Amino acid sequence: MIYLLSVTIMMGTPLLFGALAEVIAERTGMMVTAIEGIFLMGAWAGFVGGYLSGSLTVGFLAAMLAGLLVAGLYGWICIYLNQHQVVTGVAINLLVVGLCSFLHRVIFGVPITPLTVNPLATIPIPLLSKIPLLGEILFNQNILTYIIYLLAPFSYFMLYRTSIGLTIRSAGENPEAVDVAGINVLKVRFLAVLLAGVMGGVAGAFYSIGFLGMFTTNIIGGRGWIAFAICFLGNWNPKGAVIGTLAFGFAEAIAIYMQSIGNSALFPNELFIALPYIMTIVLTISRKSFSVPAKLGVPYLKEN
Amino acid sequence: MGTAFFELRGISKYFAKVIANKDVSFSIQRGEVLALLGENGAGKSTIMKILYGLYKADEGELLKDGKEIKIDSPKEAMELGISMIQQHFSLVPAHTVTENIILGNVKGVIDYKLFREEIKRLAELYGFELNPNDYIRDLAVGVQQKVEILKALYQKTNLLIMDEPTAVLTPQEAENLMGFVRDFTAQGNSVIFITHKLKEVMSVADRIIVMRAGRVYGDIKRAETNELELSKLMIGRDLNWVTKDDRQESLDQEVRLEIQHVTVQEKTGVPALKDISLTLHKGEILGIAGVSGNGQQELCEIVCGAILPTKGRVLLDGEDITERKIRARIDLGIGYVPADRSSDGMIMDMSIAENMLLKSSYDKKWQKRGFIDKEKLNQYALQEIRDYSIKAPSPETIARGLSGGNQQKVVLAREVGNGEKVIVFDQPTRGLDLGAVNHIHQVILKERAKGKSVLLVSTELAEIFALSDRIAILYKGEIQGVFKSAELTTEKIGLLMAGFRKGEVSNHAG
Repeated sequence: MIYLLSVTIMMGTPLLFGALAEVIAERTGMMVTAIEGIFLMGAWAGFVGGYLSGSLTVGFLAAMLAGLLVAGLYGWICIYLNQHQVVTGVAINLLVVGLCSFLHRVIFGVPITPLTVNPLATIPIPLLSKIPLLGEILFNQNILTYIIYLLAPFSYFMLYRTSIGLTIRSAGENPEAVDVAGINVLKVRFLAVLLAGVMGGVAGAFYSIGFLGMFTTNIIGGRGWIAFAICFLGNWNPKGAVIGTLAFGFAEAIAIYMQSIGNSALFPNELFIALPYIMTIVLTISRKSFSVPAKLGVPYLKEN
Repeated sequence: MGTAFFELRGISKYFAKVIANKDVSFSIQRGEVLALLGENGAGKSTIMKILYGLYKADEGELLKDGKEIKIDSPKEAMELGISMIQQHFSLVPAHTVTENIILGNVKGVIDYKLFREEIKRLAELYGFELNPNDYIRDLAVGVQQKVEILKALYQKTNLLIMDEPTAVLTPQEAENLMGFVRDFTAQGNSVIFITHKLKEVMSVADRIIVMRAGRVYGDIKRAETNELELSKLMIGRDLNWVTKDDRQESLDQEVRLEIQHVTVQEKTGVPALKDISLTLHKGEILGIAGVSGNGQQELCEIVCGAILPTKGRVLLDGEDITERKIRARIDLGIGYVPADRSSDGMIMDMSIAENMLLKSSYDKKWQKRGFIDKEKLNQYALQEIRDYSIKAPSPETIARGLSGGNQQKVVLAREVGNGEKVIVFDQPTRGLDLGAVNHIHQVILKERAKGKSVLLVSTELAEIFALSDRIAILYKGEIQGVFKSAELTTEKIGLLMAGFRKGEVSNHAG
């Protein structure tokens, strides 16, 4: 059980990175539908950077840059060229799949044995990790998990207690109000999307170099969309995102656990793998009240 | 008179070759109330948006205290002490009063407690009753306007621009607003308000700028002019207004439409309509007065079938039509001109002819071997274009390219055709210029003369008074009373619109 919860926290880390990125961006009115592509690009760039340099830090920096570029492309097309957010996102996701496999082939050819790097090590925090139960679950994780411990409350604080947060939230509710207040709506949205790109890139790299130590083109497998769904289920609030992430992380942990013990007697393992996806659908349709940003997905056009 | 506080010199603005403003020059002094008077589309809002930095002028210059200034964004305007309250408020409904006021005026971590107290003090200073913690979405429109004003005051505004500030207010609220304007300017501040209401201009303005077709046609002191002169300047010609004398008494007392004890429950639990009963006779215009958002839309939709009542019945010629679908009601002869033509009334990217067809597309009369008879449709549309003097080159013209007035005439033509018995008009002249308004009024009266029954919803009291045989007042989903139009005065109706009941009003207004 402790193992399961510990894995929950670990597997929840990238999801929460992605979900928080999505919350911040969607609060400005931008659905980052390219999140799946951002994850994948981050996973690939992280692996390439980490493998070629031998340093995971370089890997993560490369992942951030890659996420930034994909998000930049998405933001530019949606915000400045006024294209449809969903259509653009889908197009970019397809583009990234092709681009990653192509570039991977160009750089590494077709290796016979899979290329690997050593994934992030767990860093037990002195004293804290010795707390019975909790220590093992919460404080025997890798560095990214510790970062997300800080990032989650910070993003909540940022959204609800600072002027930047107020601007972000207003941009998604009524961009005219932001414009009239003398703030550039397009810039706010673009910066939020870029930030989402950086965070999404890190999330993607977690799968390649933070956990598996290798890269395949189906490594993300819809987890970007899960982060997207968590934002939705978490009611566009970092608190909700944390709760949603724990649920999905737990489902994923069960799937991993079942796979590892090879127990297929009671339930087919596929059921557990499918669980997060089923949960997304069930929770999505069973929700009653939403505080969806009023102008989510609506481009801001200034007549002039 | 010394140097002007702000001055505009030779400002021109073009939107893709269409002239929005041409060579506009005027000034405003400290402590002055300036009215910017003109019809819709005269360029009043555009010129003010230039002064507020939302638009960039193509030609001309701006001056403050005699020195040239550049205003490229609202931020720069605010730094110069200019604030503008847009016609459609730019408030965030999901946020609190405090959050709305400080948006764009804070840096870093927000100390909400401090701001709340500051705003409370400021509100008390001007006698506004406001709770800084209230959410905008829960506030009445009149209160929302106070938030907008407070936002401007919070920014230490010296020049307050208000775009059609009284359009959404009851007469009493408008009176309060004018009181504020007087107080505010008495402290040496200036106010520009954009309006097309002559009465307001005469009651509060010191000086009046009359605009027409993007140009200034008059710069007059209030004391030296009168309403007649202003209206001539504003319109540029004389109009034959429909007056009560043009109308005959409605003779027919036969009941056509009956609404019996109708209640509409919103999902939120608040009733949009509460136990409404109304009777509409043949050849009668029943005006529905009230501040917008008090159940007017629901009332219209009950009649045309877009929503079904939670309780109560709707009868047409004695037949219960409560459960009938929209299409059945169209066939029964109920026409509906919705308030928002662009979202509910027509499809902007379709042609005039196609828009004419919209609500009767299934009708056999348009069909030829199972396909739409284009020729017949175009012929019909052409006839309607002539009958309603719609300014469009052909039936194939795309609706989006028409002016608001002409778009409205297209909807009107279709619905008058559909509505053989009852026509519901929801704000039929909102946002139109006086010429179009006049035309639409003539149409409504003509249909009445044919014996059709008209339900006329309007927030413009002048319109209600000019056309209605009887007037019902809606407030928070309830009927405050039904009156013969001669029984009411503006003051009385204002109190009813603000929630006073029939009995109470006679005590107040007599």
